[in-house]
Amino acid sequence: MSEVRRFVVTATGDPAALLADLAEHAGLRATSSVVVERTFLDTADGRLAGADIVLELRRPADGVGAPSLVWIEDGRTVATSDLAHPEPPRFVGDLPAWPTGDRLAAVMEMRALVPGPTIMSRLTTLAALDREEKTTARVVVDASTLHGGAELPVRLELHELRGYAREADRLLKRLTDRHVLAPGDATAAAEARRLSGAPPFLRSKLRLSLDPTGSAAQAWRTVLQELTFIMTANFAGTIADTDSEFLHDFRVAVRRTRSVLQEGRSVLPPDSRQQFREGFKWLGDITTPQRDADVHLLDFPGLVATLPPERAEALEPLRELLVERQGACHEQLVTDLRSLRRAQLGRDWAEFIAGTQAWPADDGGEPGSDAPDAQRPAIVVAATRIHKAHQRLVRDGRTIDDTSPAVALHDLRKDAKRLRYLLECFGSLFPAADIATAVKPLKALQDTLGTFQDTEVQAHALEAMAEQLVDRGAPAATLLAMGAVIENVNARGVAARAEFATRFAAFDSGPVNGAYERLSEDAEAMS
Amino acid sequence: MKVLATYNIKGGVGKTATAVNLAYEAASRGNRVLVWDIDPQGAATFYFRIRPKVKGGGKALVSGRRDLDEVIKASDYDNLDVVPADFSMRNLDLLLEGSKKPLATLRRVLRSVKDDYDLVFLDCPPSISLASESVFRAADALLVPVIPTTLSIRTFEQLDRFVEENPEVVKDLDVIGFFSMVDRRKRLHRELLVELREARPDLLDELIPAVTDIERMGVHRQPVAAFSPGSRAARSYAALWDEISARLQSA
Repeated sequence: MSEVRRFVVTATGDPAALLADLAEHAGLRATSSVVVERTFLDTADGRLAGADIVLELRRPADGVGAPSLVWIEDGRTVATSDLAHPEPPRFVGDLPAWPTGDRLAAVMEMRALVPGPTIMSRLTTLAALDREEKTTARVVVDASTLHGGAELPVRLELHELRGYAREADRLLKRLTDRHVLAPGDATAAAEARRLSGAPPFLRSKLRLSLDPTGSAAQAWRTVLQELTFIMTANFAGTIADTDSEFLHDFRVAVRRTRSVLQEGRSVLPPDSRQQFREGFKWLGDITTPQRDADVHLLDFPGLVATLPPERAEALEPLRELLVERQGACHEQLVTDLRSLRRAQLGRDWAEFIAGTQAWPADDGGEPGSDAPDAQRPAIVVAATRIHKAHQRLVRDGRTIDDTSPAVALHDLRKDAKRLRYLLECFGSLFPAADIATAVKPLKALQDTLGTFQDTEVQAHALEAMAEQLVDRGAPAATLLAMGAVIENVNARGVAARAEFATRFAAFDSGPVNGAYERLSEDAEAMS
Repeated sequence: MKVLATYNIKGGVGKTATAVNLAYEAASRGNRVLVWDIDPQGAATFYFRIRPKVKGGGKALVSGRRDLDEVIKASDYDNLDVVPADFSMRNLDLLLEGSKKPLATLRRVLRSVKDDYDLVFLDCPPSISLASESVFRAADALLVPVIPTTLSIRTFEQLDRFVEENPEVVKDLDVIGFFSMVDRRKRLHRELLVELREARPDLLDELIPAVTDIERMGVHRQPVAAFSPGSRAARSYAALWDEISARLQSA
């Protein structure tokens, strides 16, 4: 398809003069010129921007006419639809029924679209035509102003059309002969975000680059700071219930924090460590009911899909119950997150992270903590923790066979999580290739253990909900459909159980164990 | 990627207008669409204002010396590209005869663009020949415009018979017929519409009227909806595409 080259027109002055010049000297013909208000939509973690997709809500500047939603990918308009109502779409299900909408849905997944900055733009399209009056290249000039007045640099896009590369090259030469064009890869959406001072997109992955020779105390602090950043960034979205992933990412950061505290036995002051382990356990616990309710709702379409279409409708009372429960759980969570206890935990934690009780002050000086490993090299302490966690997972995993009770696999899942968090939080101390070899089979093992436990929990929850629906007088068709769903869920659990031995063998293998050994060797070489 | 061929044994029934207008409609809804003008007359190419020339000619494509994606030209419309006609395609039968698997050739040639497009429209010349058999093999569906005249119906039946009698050629092929160039002022058209709807309930509901806007495509060199959006003809093609896409989805 067509390629788009993006430029910023430097030293332009008046956009109107630029357009006149393009028409007169570059032989371009204006084919459209519109003034529109554009609000850029993206998920809170910038999934669309990451895929070079721009989704914008356009409203005519004169307020007359319906708003439209425009999907632009790699600079090319993929689809445009007028919207029946002025509200921007939030979830995948709210998007127009675009034939290729599955691609967009795969990028967005369960995340909500959040309105970003709004700009007022004059978009002028000019065409280079051949003798047949066929368009051989297109130029779009975008002169935009942020709400509030700041002007964006005038942007010029040269749309090279497939099969007309030479014509586009010739046009570009004519343009650069007369105008100063600086390559400007950023989309208008990105430029508007930058100029409006919008906060960066959220991220759930840790961005850490720990110093292997630095002290363990310093490394622990850096990790905890990063986790605190992620918790804070997801707090408002969790309260507002913008989408399920704010709470998910908040919870993961809480669990990682608990894990880092747990692994910091010889690094952190014991009293504080104990205090915050209890505090974050409580914080994690209060988020569990809503996360469970979110997961049920997220899984619902998948559960419905396991039934023949004619039976799927019978599950509507279950969906209503799930929505109701989710609402009630969210209400309770908001109360808990706004409680004095949560506020006190937040204050104490901020003080601990910023203070000098456990680590040296930012401007240097002596460390406050006398924990035995606090001043040892971070890589040595982290390697010891990883080694122990790995040994434990291997030891416990080897005892599991086909006759082992379910609880043995659930406990093993905890071991696996512990190791995974260590690798995620302290992995940057070690060579990336060894960490990748160590993580990949661990992740696969966790997926299997996760499916096994989750399906068990889900089946029990569905059974309990079926009883509730009986009390509410749900029709027999609903209960029969739920019975079929529970059967399917249990079948997935059985399949995961059967998969365990293969997954564990892949994890407990020579090359993977070798990678774990090398992590310890790297640490020894440093010490 | 779905391959749709606008086809009729008979000429002058609105094949090219169908290919161009449906392709435009599908592209405007967000599908990535390619029109391949196989007809050496090059009417679709003309409507898109593209030079009827393929580097190396049809021979280079059929022999595999050149991939289809090397000769594609963008149209003036988003999501809509064209493989222009080439006069050498008048000898497509001969070119296919020279290839190893003539029936499978067009399907093979299209393979190089299968990830780039959601829909391909093949605008075919009128005939039953080796070239059309290769089209039948490449296509998922034939879009067959039928003028409500006795002769046109007869050719539609001929096509049906061919499809029925040659399963080894057509394999999985949906034949989708619809009325084209309908002039309700003509009594014969009105009568045949009623009669044929009863005889052939599989024909699509929407019909394409014989209106000046469609004839004027040659003057504007654009799809109807590009120069006359909201016109009767444009609305008819949009409704026809609704029906066709629903049928493709249910297939």
